Amino acid sequence: MTESTKNNKRRKVLIGMTAAFGAAGIPFAATPFIAAWNPSAKAKALGAAVKVDISKIEEGQIVQVAWRKQPVFVLRHTKSSISNLPSVETKLADPNSLSIDEPYRDLYPTRSKSDEFSILAGVCTHLGCSPKYHPEVEPKPWDATWTGGFFCPCHGSMFDIVGRVFKGVPAPTNLKVPPHNFQGSILTIGEDKEIT
Amino acid sequence: MIKIFIIIFSIYFAPSVFSAESAPCGDYGECDDYSYDLYNNESLQKGLATYINYCYGCHSLKYSRWGRIAADLEIPEEILFENLIFNQETKPGDLMTGSMIKRNAEEWFGVAPPDLTLVTRSHSPEWVYTYLRTFYEDDSKQYGVNNLVYPGAAMPNVLSHLQGKQVLGCKEVPIIASNGGVKRDENRNDITEEKCGYLKIKESGELTQAGFDSLIYDLTNFLVYVGEPAKRDRERIGWYVIFFFITFTALSFLLYREYQKDYH
Amino acid sequence: MNTVFKWFNDRLPIVNTFERHLSKHPVPKKVNFWYLFGALASVVLIIQIISGIWLMMPYQNTEEGAFSSIEFIMRDVDYGWVIRYMHTTGASMFFAVVYLHMFRGLLYGSYKKPRELVWIFGMTIYLVMMAEGFLGYVLPYGQMSYWGAQVIISLFGAIPYIGESLEVWVRGDYYISGSTVSRFFALHVVALPLMLIALVFMHLVALHEVGAGNPEGIDIEEHLDEDGVPLDSVPFFPYKVLNALVGIGVFMTVFSIIMFFFPEAGGYFIEKANFEEANPLSTPEHIAPVWYYSPYYAMLRAVPDKLGGLIVMAGAIAILFVVPWLDRSKVNSIRYKGIFSKIAISLFAISFLTLGYLGTVPVTELRTLMSVICTAIYFLFFFLMPIYTSLESTKQPPERL
Repeated sequence: MTESTKNNKRRKVLIGMTAAFGAAGIPFAATPFIAAWNPSAKAKALGAAVKVDISKIEEGQIVQVAWRKQPVFVLRHTKSSISNLPSVETKLADPNSLSIDEPYRDLYPTRSKSDEFSILAGVCTHLGCSPKYHPEVEPKPWDATWTGGFFCPCHGSMFDIVGRVFKGVPAPTNLKVPPHNFQGSILTIGEDKEIT
Repeated sequence: MIKIFIIIFSIYFAPSVFSAESAPCGDYGECDDYSYDLYNNESLQKGLATYINYCYGCHSLKYSRWGRIAADLEIPEEILFENLIFNQETKPGDLMTGSMIKRNAEEWFGVAPPDLTLVTRSHSPEWVYTYLRTFYEDDSKQYGVNNLVYPGAAMPNVLSHLQGKQVLGCKEVPIIASNGGVKRDENRNDITEEKCGYLKIKESGELTQAGFDSLIYDLTNFLVYVGEPAKRDRERIGWYVIFFFITFTALSFLLYREYQKDYH
Repeated sequence: MNTVFKWFNDRLPIVNTFERHLSKHPVPKKVNFWYLFGALASVVLIIQIISGIWLMMPYQNTEEGAFSSIEFIMRDVDYGWVIRYMHTTGASMFFAVVYLHMFRGLLYGSYKKPRELVWIFGMTIYLVMMAEGFLGYVLPYGQMSYWGAQVIISLFGAIPYIGESLEVWVRGDYYISGSTVSRFFALHVVALPLMLIALVFMHLVALHEVGAGNPEGIDIEEHLDEDGVPLDSVPFFPYKVLNALVGIGVFMTVFSIIMFFFPEAGGYFIEKANFEEANPLSTPEHIAPVWYYSPYYAMLRAVPDKLGGLIVMAGAIAILFVVPWLDRSKVNSIRYKGIFSKIAISLFAISFLTLGYLGTVPVTELRTLMSVICTAIYFLFFFLMPIYTSLESTKQPPERL
């Protein structure tokens, strides 16, 4: 009971060790609770790749498919619209998609694995609304020199027909290109064995 | 006094108090021993193959997913799709909902064949292992077979060509004396009596008895796995957690003892 | 920093509360392991609340979805099995520590003046826990959930006049259906936990007002130092906390062994029949409640009358509430009570455990007879308590711990 029997150094060491050991357990204890919020096996199964038959898509037509319950645009461009692509580049913020992780860079102007189809995630890179497709080449309320592309009704972001973002709009980057694969007339969206 | 009475009372009645349960494996009595081995992927793979070939036609595994089994059992997905999945539309993430339509099944069998995902948990691995090996010929039944473990099972014995035709027979067994030993005559030979209800193979099948037992071992092993796919992980992680708490207890005990000096 | 803290402390009793209930709260310096179960119960309560919140997220409270959502948690949710086994193991461990905690109360007279309210709050917690456990057990909608609920809800049918309509009202259907499951879900996850937390708070506030007891059953407040602190006490922090930490370490080791290696505990924590989805047309061969209700279930079966069984069962719990007024002994602790009290509490413990076993096994004539005897002992322990505690000669407890 006297002060001299107290071993303060031993106490400090023991407190340190117990506290450190206990604290080291916390991340492990938290792991199941954090991991339980990941997409479940069911969500992953429902979010698996989707297949689209592209043979029935005509030139200039757009088809919207759902992958992971999110809109994906499949566009078949006309030859002329592809050849016109360089002409809008002056309006674009990042024509070569340098600021994003572009899966099929330098393959085709369509940004996809095909020279006439564009596959774009239909989710605005600003705050997640789905942009609308306006192919007409005519003056629009939002752009007097509109040459076709995507316009987002939420906050007015503009993208060209291959999903590249315009300068001076709220959206920071180009529309994303989801992984995809062509096998004949079947397009698989959401899976590409060549990129992981 | 009452205490003594209770003690005498409970000693006197204890055997009859504790032994009123019916045998776990029906007419067979005690189930055969079974110990699963979830680290034996080869056994689990064989069990899966047997299940798909002989059972899956009627019995779904509707809480289990193809891809999870492929990953856990280390079966490459291509091999799984080529050899075991017969529906072209099936994707790896799909549940194994079986291929039989429930209404047809009820017409054919009287009851829909149950889903077997949890069979080793609602019964036990021992039960399943014994059940699958105790079918015998019985002409009075719809499918010509009956089962010792589950008498009246409305199920054909789809494995009989492998096991052979099994029948119930009688054999001479030693008489057990009341002291638990075997009764013997004056020449020290066991005294036997004829008892019935034993299984024996009448016509042998494609497999030897050991081969068939091993087939059922693998099948049951697979069913144990599919009843709780996380079991392997659970038992592995468990050791670390227990180690953690033992160490923590030791450290806090040292700390407690150190501080106890203040008031002792 | 200090000014910020002061700003808060001037408006909120931070330092006061901390000193009163933690750092300076005096606890008896000499207690034994029986005094750990209260702390362990609060640890399990926290485990149950956290794991319960996480289970709520993927669980579906519908007739079609309930059973399969449990398997979904066990398989498809990452580490869902950890969370579920934590909750199922926690449920049984909660009752285990609470039973030991209650038995401690009976052993050392923790209910005696001035701790009657602490005991009554505690008994109310136990009552709410029983309801909570029952409701939770129905949620997986397996065979045992269904038939267990069927049996328990049918008990309401024993109440004269209103019984049958009360049954239908509780179920919200003519059988235990999705409506029943979803209302039980709401009660299990919101209503009863709120009550539990409130009651635990009251239990602790009342305890801290009168001070914790000790195995000698003596009043440590009778010998104070010059500051008014009991001489035989130590501050809660760090001494009691360190003591509890060792207990928690041992407890969590046992908890993890069960949770990771024997989560079903041989069918006592998760019953085998509950791995089959509920089927209103087929009763399992053997219905047994989970182990923590089985003593009362055995009492219910011991009485050959529906209403009588219900009354006996309810009475067995109700009588615990009045124990503070049944015990007339001059001393608190079993250590200084007379021989009758010692015999009585041993018989009581044996009969309660025997009832616990009998409630889990199928009925035979002999077992029914034993249930009747044990039920009688259970009640006689309480009914005769005023007599044997006042008649017997007691020993003199020491002055100091």
